[in-house]
Amino acid sequence: MESSAPARIARRSLLKTGAALAGALTLGGPALAQEAAPAAADAPVPSLKGKTIAISVAGTDHFFDLKAYQAQIETVKELGGTPIGLDGGRNDKAIVSQLQTLLTQKPDAVIQTLGTLTVVDPWLKKLRQADIPVFSVDLPSTNVINTATSDNFSLGAQLALQLVSDIGGKGNIVVFNGFAGVPVCEIRYNQLRHVLKYYPEVKIVQPELRDVIPNTVQDAYAQITALLSKYPEKGSISAIWSAWDIPQLGATQALIAAGRTEILTYGVDGTPEVLALVKDPKAPAGAVAAQQPSLIGRTAVLNVARYLNGDTSLPSQTFLPAIVANKKNAADVQKQLGQV
Amino acid sequence: MSLESSFESSLAASQALHLPRAGRQAPPPEAAASAPGLSRGALAGLLRFAGLLALLAVVAFFAVRVPSFLTPGNIGLILSQSAVLGILGLGLTLVLITGGSDVIRGGIDLSLAGTLGLAAAVFATLNQAGYGDAACVAATLATGLAVGALNALSVTWLRILPLLATLAVMNICAGLELVLTENTTVPAAAPLIDALNLAGPFDLPVIGLVLVAAWLVLAVTLRFTPVGLRAYAVGGHPEAARAAGIALNRYVAGSYIVAGLLGGVAGILSVAFLNAATSGSADMLLPVIATAFLGRMFSRRLVPSVTGTLLAAVFLGALANGFQLLHVSSYWVNGIEGALILAVVGVTSGLAQRGARP
Repeated sequence: MESSAPARIARRSLLKTGAALAGALTLGGPALAQEAAPAAADAPVPSLKGKTIAISVAGTDHFFDLKAYQAQIETVKELGGTPIGLDGGRNDKAIVSQLQTLLTQKPDAVIQTLGTLTVVDPWLKKLRQADIPVFSVDLPSTNVINTATSDNFSLGAQLALQLVSDIGGKGNIVVFNGFAGVPVCEIRYNQLRHVLKYYPEVKIVQPELRDVIPNTVQDAYAQITALLSKYPEKGSISAIWSAWDIPQLGATQALIAAGRTEILTYGVDGTPEVLALVKDPKAPAGAVAAQQPSLIGRTAVLNVARYLNGDTSLPSQTFLPAIVANKKNAADVQKQLGQV
Repeated sequence: MSLESSFESSLAASQALHLPRAGRQAPPPEAAASAPGLSRGALAGLLRFAGLLALLAVVAFFAVRVPSFLTPGNIGLILSQSAVLGILGLGLTLVLITGGSDVIRGGIDLSLAGTLGLAAAVFATLNQAGYGDAACVAATLATGLAVGALNALSVTWLRILPLLATLAVMNICAGLELVLTENTTVPAAAPLIDALNLAGPFDLPVIGLVLVAAWLVLAVTLRFTPVGLRAYAVGGHPEAARAAGIALNRYVAGSYIVAGLLGGVAGILSVAFLNAATSGSADMLLPVIATAFLGRMFSRRLVPSVTGTLLAAVFLGALANGFQLLHVSSYWVNGIEGALILAVVGVTSGLAQRGARP
């Protein structure tokens, strides 16, 4: 498989970087301890021959979703299984209908990638009740056997600390919080609040902004442009935070267009365009927590394969390393992720 | 032949004589039926059932390829997955019946998907605020009725083209929905939601049964009461209806109001289906229109009919369900659906044109 070799190298180098960061963070300890699970990926992986695996994804319109989805489909095929590709197209009704139909279809396992928990979870539960093993990517739930995900607690805290450190521990920050129902976004947001509790001079501008899907970039651009005219004085806003990096992309472009590059932006995922902006010394993108969606997707399928071959020792979450790319290390991160 | 269908025939014939309509590409099948020749008679016969035959062919195909397709459990799933779309389609069908089939000036309700979104938002927001099921249902249905009444006023009193009036109301609904939900997913949990998600009689989910019940009420009303006959008259041949002393505006307004009410019902079903009010109801607009127009292909005279719309909604639901059961990637399903719809519509209207040729 062409993507596995670079992915493995990237993981090792990220582990090293992660180890360096871990010293600075109490949260880094438990996060890295979980590395034992993906490390087992190097062991021979059982086959999925004759197995049908449903790959359900909330949508594939963004870098993370698309990479995670493609890696799952590829890995199922590589292991000799048959993938059922179910792209919800960001339409909850389609996602629920597809999950419902799986009750009739009875695949050997289901992997749900992202989605609003309150919408998706009742149907994951029904699938489990029908004795269909359910796994997930980036969707922690009591109804899944295992979630392959970045450690969003750790990366959320790291990103928040990077933000606080970059703005000198004080200032007003603008927050996009449109997807509180998506657990990984909620975790990252809560980590931001948690960190800010200890930096009382950093204030979140009220009301918080709502990021949207679709037209995320255009919408964030418009919202930030409007906000900048409300806060015209330099220094009135110090940073912009979003739980993923597509709003960050729109916000950064709006800052450049308005000449307000003193404001820094922060987000999560490591979409190539955003990582490039973080690397660009002139662009006001402060940092992005870069995830490894392909590796996350692949790991989810490997976990399914192990489970279907009798391995019942899977942890409830398999954490894959993520790293905060900032102005200093963005070029290195780009290389590690194969984005150069 | 029932009273309703004989009236439809005379309407169709009179349209062919006096009122060639922009939206009506095919001359009415009655022209074929009245023409001499066995083959043409056979064609006309085939035409009457072309839509139905296509539906049966698709069902048979899936049933042969995937044995589980026709199990009661799966039929229940298809029904419940088609419920929201089907209910909205029924609403639009009423508007098409009284408004006539002219694409530009005829009846259309573009606000139905917006009504769905707003109604769902009202239900979920009140549910989160701690109100009981009765209050939530009352407020949601009242919202639907209010939207319907606004459409009715705009079309009959202000005399705005339905296409434009309902487009404006659609935007009002979308705006109000955003005000309520702030563009987030509003979760909802209530005894009513649990009840709607349960399996009812014949192992069919209650959500699906609501669709069947709504169809039954409308079908009976349109077929066995004077209201149905008059409604078709108002849309098909307004001058004749007016001459017969029918209050046209009352029927047109009534169709928009009932459509709005059905939008409210769809909102409740949608919250039950998703356990939340979510954004993205605007995505339903084109499927609703497709359902109501595809439904005409299931009626013998290519007129909007509630039975045709029900079949069309179930047909679309069966396609998505069947292709997934065949392990066809969802990427292919949209395209295949479009091609099949084009084929059904193409065959039906092609037959109509050939059948009508002297």
